[in-house]
Amino acid sequence: MRIYAIAVFLFLYVPIGIIVLFSFNAGRHASELRGLSIQWYGKALSNPFVGDAFTTSLIIAFSVAILSSLMGTTAALALQRLKGPVRVLFDGLIYISVMIPGIVIGIATLVALVTVFDFLNPLLAAGWPEGGKPPKLHMGYLSVIAAHTLFTMSIVIILVRARIAGMDRALIEASMDLYATPWRTFYQVTLPQIYPAILAGFLLSFTFSFDDFIISFFVAGANTTLPIYIFSSIRRGITPEVNAIGSMVLAVSLCLLMTAQFFLRDRARR
Amino acid sequence: MKVSNKSNRWLTAALLAPTSVWFVLMLILPLIVILVFSFGERAAVGGYAGGFTLEQYANLPSRLKAFQNTMTIAPAGTLLSLLVAYPLAYYLALRVDRKYKLILLVLVIVPFWTSLLVRTYAWIFILGGRGIPSLLELIGIEGVRLINTPGAVLVGIVYGYLPLMVFPIFVSLEKLDKSLLEASSDLGGSPLKTFMQITIPLSMPGVATGCMLVFILLMGEFLIPAFLGGGKVFFIGNALVDLFLQSRNWPFGAAVSVTLVVIMLITVSLYMRMTLRSNTGRDESLM
Repeated sequence: MRIYAIAVFLFLYVPIGIIVLFSFNAGRHASELRGLSIQWYGKALSNPFVGDAFTTSLIIAFSVAILSSLMGTTAALALQRLKGPVRVLFDGLIYISVMIPGIVIGIATLVALVTVFDFLNPLLAAGWPEGGKPPKLHMGYLSVIAAHTLFTMSIVIILVRARIAGMDRALIEASMDLYATPWRTFYQVTLPQIYPAILAGFLLSFTFSFDDFIISFFVAGANTTLPIYIFSSIRRGITPEVNAIGSMVLAVSLCLLMTAQFFLRDRARR
Repeated sequence: MKVSNKSNRWLTAALLAPTSVWFVLMLILPLIVILVFSFGERAAVGGYAGGFTLEQYANLPSRLKAFQNTMTIAPAGTLLSLLVAYPLAYYLALRVDRKYKLILLVLVIVPFWTSLLVRTYAWIFILGGRGIPSLLELIGIEGVRLINTPGAVLVGIVYGYLPLMVFPIFVSLEKLDKSLLEASSDLGGSPLKTFMQITIPLSMPGVATGCMLVFILLMGEFLIPAFLGGGKVFFIGNALVDLFLQSRNWPFGAAVSVTLVVIMLITVSLYMRMTLRSNTGRDESLM
């Protein structure tokens, strides 16, 4: 039994290890290991396309994380006050957005936004004051952020709601009885109890958005995120540079996950 | 409560407003647009032209291969993941010392939250010509081809989705009342009998949740067949990327997507029926 477990852990981690090992390859060919060096990291970091894609991914992931944690937390707080059909409706929507495969979200968003833009762009052009250049709506950062946020916001709702469910209600009642305003009760009693879940949600949202390929592939328009860059590089052939970029992407998610785990554990201990 | 009911209601509505807008604009509206498109016609330049026709649905058999591949490999992949995941979940939930339980579980789940793209890419390396096949050549077995086969896609699936399968099974085994196991062995039940008659039935909610989650995500999979199936083993997801981004046949693509979503809805409702009586912790199992 124990040997089996070790074998499965090896199965899970050896491929990751191989990517990292080969990213330190000194040779020019991806599949032959000839000594160790960090040259490919240098090459990757000085490649302007990689830099641009990395910046794009960071901006998108950061916006997604902020939006999701704000909207997810407020929604979770509101939902705990609700019962009846509205609550059931929201529960349904939350589960659908978590479970629906990314490709469906990507396609649906692409088609819907292009339709809306095709409808709005002529209107904008017609209604724009003489002489000025009307803005043209198109797919880009905002469409990726909006599509990612649908999924991540629901993850935050689920996390924060689980935390609220485990909260000590007596503290809130005590605070109310002691004539604290609702705002003060929230700020001094509720928030300190739920913030580990919010932070964990923030980090998971960031990780999801940073790693997502399929949704961005459909709705990013002319922009390139890091996963899209890696995908098209692999199509052109495997190089040690791709291994170096891949290792860095893994490193970013691993660091964020460790931090998220730290906050979620904090939750479990109390 | 000192706050009046009315202002309370307004506050709730205000707190829910952004999320509601998002659900309407990014989930409900897009799904409606897709549904409308699937009854339309293809414009000459690609994209969509209005109309009402069932032509797109009648044309579905032209992508039969993609549906066949998905509907055979996705269930097979789900089953294989279950077979690999169950013993591990069992070991983690019932055999491991309390001290190490959490850390081992985290180690199983962490890969799921890292880039599937990079992790699948690793298997191109391992299964490709200079990976395992070249190692086999060293010991005299030649001409083995692993990549671009259904087997390679299955390995990629198990690798990618194992964590999602282990977690819900772990949760249901962990919740299992250990005194039942003791009672069974005290009453002379053999370990096998205890396992078959107590452990397995009581872990069914976790098994069902895991299978449903993995199956639904596999139905929409694109990356794993794209990397490890090499154009030979393609899924509905690969057909969709082609239809929307290359040949730009949107109405037909929309019809394929609607069919895909309908298959998923049937799966979910079957699942709901199966687990309606047994109450699973759904919130936990999604993470």
